[in-house]
Amino acid sequence: MAKTTIRNSKPVTACLSSGKGGVGKTSLTVNLAFALAQKGARVLVVDGDLGLANVDVLLGLQVQTTIRDILDRGADPLEAVVYVEPQLGVLPSSSGVPDLANLGPEDHQELGGILRSIGSHFDVVLVDTAAGIGSSVLWFNTFVDYNILVLTPDPTAMTDAYALIKVLSRDYQRKSFHLLLNNVKNETEARQVYEHLARVASHFLDLRLEYLGGVPHDPAVSKGVRDQVPFIKIAPQSKAALTLSRHADRILGWSDSKPVRKTAV
Amino acid sequence: MQKPLTSPAFCPFGAEECPLPAETQRLQEECDRLRELSQTDPLTGLFNRRHLKAALDQEMERTRRTGLPTSLIMVDLDYFKRVNDTFGHQTGDEALKWATQVWRRNLRRIDILCRYGGEEFTIILPGTRLQAALRAAKRLQTALINAPVPLPDRKIHLTASFGVDTFTARDELTVRGFLKRADRYLLEAKVQGRNRICHQKPETAKRTPEVTVDERTALFGPRTLPAKGMARKNRPSSKG
Repeated sequence: MAKTTIRNSKPVTACLSSGKGGVGKTSLTVNLAFALAQKGARVLVVDGDLGLANVDVLLGLQVQTTIRDILDRGADPLEAVVYVEPQLGVLPSSSGVPDLANLGPEDHQELGGILRSIGSHFDVVLVDTAAGIGSSVLWFNTFVDYNILVLTPDPTAMTDAYALIKVLSRDYQRKSFHLLLNNVKNETEARQVYEHLARVASHFLDLRLEYLGGVPHDPAVSKGVRDQVPFIKIAPQSKAALTLSRHADRILGWSDSKPVRKTAV
Repeated sequence: MQKPLTSPAFCPFGAEECPLPAETQRLQEECDRLRELSQTDPLTGLFNRRHLKAALDQEMERTRRTGLPTSLIMVDLDYFKRVNDTFGHQTGDEALKWATQVWRRNLRRIDILCRYGGEEFTIILPGTRLQAALRAAKRLQTALINAPVPLPDRKIHLTASFGVDTFTARDELTVRGFLKRADRYLLEAKVQGRNRICHQKPETAKRTPEVTVDERTALFGPRTLPAKGMARKNRPSSKG
């Protein structure tokens, strides 16, 4: 496999959010990170589910220092990063700490500074946010350059994703959203769901949604979650792994066309 | 740099007889007493309106910085004039004190109970969401009902009306504005017949519902909708 190496001083930052829980967001984030790392990118996964962290659970990690320790007692952010592969770091969060799910503006500002400073050591930063439309979910989504919405073809998942898109566009001036359809029958179904949601968003919100892709239903996915191993590692030839690897290529492409947020250098 | 007054380097009376430390301590105590007087209501011993405004200002600033909401409960004892008219002002004062003692026992140590004036009181609940503030108001309401004022020969049953409001980091309000908004809920409780709790409606506290009925219908509808003119799909056909 041809290895792509990107060396930007600023990483591509993307948030994977869903609105609804249980659509496979964390699993896709972790596997996407592995796919990107396999392609030669240095990847950081930030567990943005501050109250109910589970990236570490999904990877079976032993966590020593978390985002909470960094904020509460000034722990060194770089030491908190757990490397699961030489190219792939995870910034863990703390589980079961509800107050961390409701950080104030000052904490967010500090967290932003921390993420920017750690992020500069990586090519891609992926944030796995909590479900719902909580203040931390909204904050992470405004912090990153790219907003990826993970959803399944079920109407409630679509509605919750739509609600998040609506709030982010209406209250936070986010205008670009990439849809990642999980657990679809095939590419046709993924396209259909995307087009449906895109039509509704265009009609009611005057927004254009982007299509990142679909990940087909695959027994390898649930096996990976059960065994705490990324499916992209244990079943690299599975349908899910192969399609996700293609989506990783798309994300690598973003590093060349990163949206300019403030003044261009 | 000035040396502290409590340890003079040299005193003509001698170190043992020096009057300065005692005088300094007296002045410090006087200062504390005056500060307390300026912040306290003499009858009930609660904080007064002056302190309320300073404390509320500080808590609202904390909310802006930490994102933790500040709640406010405005309380008015119902028909209190009747107590004064029937039993005299001295008994009225005792009843006021009694009620505030009952409430104090039902609040947390961090809650700031103030006498706003007359028979009106204000409680600042730092770092408290609306739902928790409503539970606190309910507790105060019940506690007062369950603890009538004990007089030597009889008991006076008191009730109160409550207005509850919450300030969040998203609100743009001054101290005055917040007090005014909370006061409206108290007024509402009185107008509705007293002995009740009126509060900020959760709908106005939250953002507007995210997904409208039309949007939901479209999302749940068939995946092959016409891109435009969806709203007009029920228009009668132009044919025939």
